[in-house]
Amino acid sequence: MQNPSLAAEARSASWWTLFVERHPVFVFTTPAAVVVFILMVFPVFYTVYMSLHSWFASSVTAPEFIGLANFRRAFLEDERFRNAIWLTIYFTILATALQVVLGVALALLLNRPFRGKGFFRSIFLLPMVATPVAIALVWMMMYNPTLGVMNYLVGLVGLGPFKWVSDAHLVIPALAAVDTWEWTPLITLITLAGLATLPLEPYESALIDGATPAQMFWRITLPLLRPTIMVALLFRSIDCLKTFDIIYVMTAGGPGFASETLNVYTFQVGLFYFHIGYACSLLVILFALVMGVSLLLIKVRRGSW
Amino acid sequence: MKIWKAIVAVGLLAGLLLASTAQAQQFNWQQFKGTQLRVLLNKHPWQAAIEPHLKDFEALTGIKLIAEVYPEDQFRAKVLVELTSGASSIDVFMTMPAQEGLKYMRAGWYQPVDEFLKDPSLTPSEYNWNDFLDKTREAMVAEGKLIGPPIQVENVSLMYRKDVFQKYNVKVPTTLDELEAAAKALNGKPMTDDGQPGFGIVNRGKRAAATSMFAGMLHAMGGTWLTPSREPAINSDEAVAAIDMWGRLLRLYGPPGSENNHWYEASSIFSQGKAAMYTDANSLWPVIEDKDKSKVIGKVGYALFPKGPKGQPGSTVAVWGLGMPKTGKNQKAAWLFMQWATNKDQVFKVQTEKGVLGCRDSVWKDPKGKAKVPADLAESLAQGSKIGTPLWNPPVVAVAEVRDAVGAAIVTSIQGGDVRAAANKAAADMKRIMAETEKK
Repeated sequence: MQNPSLAAEARSASWWTLFVERHPVFVFTTPAAVVVFILMVFPVFYTVYMSLHSWFASSVTAPEFIGLANFRRAFLEDERFRNAIWLTIYFTILATALQVVLGVALALLLNRPFRGKGFFRSIFLLPMVATPVAIALVWMMMYNPTLGVMNYLVGLVGLGPFKWVSDAHLVIPALAAVDTWEWTPLITLITLAGLATLPLEPYESALIDGATPAQMFWRITLPLLRPTIMVALLFRSIDCLKTFDIIYVMTAGGPGFASETLNVYTFQVGLFYFHIGYACSLLVILFALVMGVSLLLIKVRRGSW
Repeated sequence: MKIWKAIVAVGLLAGLLLASTAQAQQFNWQQFKGTQLRVLLNKHPWQAAIEPHLKDFEALTGIKLIAEVYPEDQFRAKVLVELTSGASSIDVFMTMPAQEGLKYMRAGWYQPVDEFLKDPSLTPSEYNWNDFLDKTREAMVAEGKLIGPPIQVENVSLMYRKDVFQKYNVKVPTTLDELEAAAKALNGKPMTDDGQPGFGIVNRGKRAAATSMFAGMLHAMGGTWLTPSREPAINSDEAVAAIDMWGRLLRLYGPPGSENNHWYEASSIFSQGKAAMYTDANSLWPVIEDKDKSKVIGKVGYALFPKGPKGQPGSTVAVWGLGMPKTGKNQKAAWLFMQWATNKDQVFKVQTEKGVLGCRDSVWKDPKGKAKVPADLAESLAQGSKIGTPLWNPPVVAVAEVRDAVGAAIVTSIQGGDVRAAANKAAADMKRIMAETEKK
């Protein structure tokens, strides 16, 4: 024993060392599990619990248990809620459809060999890395009917002038365009990865059989890419269902309530009107909606179309 | 005889002198020496103007001030959370009674200051409460109790292009009818620097944001938010006429897309020279006269919001003030600070140094007091704050939610929809919201 202090340390630490060696799974996962529980599991259950209460947060009264009354109100009495559900679905379908079509087309284009390919690939990915709020502010200026550039641009081809996000009928397509501008590159990126893994053999045999490029695209490329596209679609539809930043910054749900999606409405109800209980029940509904769509898409991906 | 008179005169004079020194001695600024006060301030021109002078208060009273400043959103959230917890250590906070007054008063969060104001040992006689512009005092009252002194006032007012009105020989409107006539006459007339046509009028049209300016038109028309028995009055004939006119002006003579315009967008259009008139808060004048961004510097006149068909004033009186929470441990010391910060000297200083729109009549009457702001703005502000209405917001607990309900009707009106039906819907929504949030 040259170093007695070390020995003492070893002795005192030994029970802990032994414990770690015997239960490595338990010891190493506990910190992560605790964090996940506190930050994710608990809030979800607490939200569900609060959704069964009526609580006007700024009054002095305590939350009051009202069972499913919040949900009854949402589905049966609340026009703004029904409007919000419809707009959420409308926005999601429009934005994801545009993005998938454009994203896959861009990927096919970028997959061809040409000069400066790397450069163009990087350029096309830029919108994705910009800050959403900054994007929203810039687009808002471009959409401004009086001072913005968009009316000038559509004027060049003889269209407009439009009121863009101030027009109750145009606001959702206009917002979907911004979302598309920002997120099409994600679909392109995922599709490019998918294209890189495609086998060459089917194309060779198709060539020998005399297939046209169009036939090869519809019969070979697209079916082989389907799982990849479905993954991209899954990501985008989950994100679109809960889009908040660009809508809130650009219109705050306006004009009137013409772009008030479920997430924007919930934000208003919870943090501006202080109806915490009702906001929680709206969140539960949004959660169910996102979950439902995700499960559906996963099922579609595994099975056939 | 002359000697007698002189003696009497000297005696009286001496007596007066003694009395006045006695009175001055009576007011003891040092009575709470050693106390600490926690003061919560919103990032605001008044806060920026008063902060350099806070050390004067500390020297005068021996009270230590701990001032905390937050941007508006965080400030509101911070005050709300601390007051909700019931264990706040705030002694004084900035407050906007029309926004939160009823809610806080009903929750029992404000300590009313009526008693402190009356107490000569806490308020020196030269404080002169009646010097505050009439309606700014009224604006600091909730449920009949005084929340505190006002520190800054603004009114919805008419901002107009003096050059454009002169060029096309149009009379500056003083009534709503004249307002519409002027908007119609000037719409499409060249008015920018490079001769581009502009709009007759620009205003806010964005849902909730529009309501606080629309309040001017509502009251000028003879309408208001609630009946005396607290039933929604937003679908009365007068209110419907006001909603209709607000939307009609913007639809016919305003910029396209007004439905999404907040003050930021509206003031940009006006300061780019693209509109002849703009009715919004006169506190926006630094934006309109901004050397770096505005193209209409020196060309804008500031006038009262036009009167209604029966001569009703349309000015609104929106004030920021100081309040203290019921939980405050040093309420008398806190009051000392509140009355010091709003005495004539301080109001004069913040108004002359930083152009804060103060609430004291005497300072507005002083040529030095109004030197920092345009002359017609000073005049219309002092007048509007005497005759206007403090009800620029609906007097309810759930202000934000009711503003959204009324704002939806305004948007419908801008879009050219059925105003009567929209107003009825707004009234029904108001009734439901009030029933939910004001149950006792």
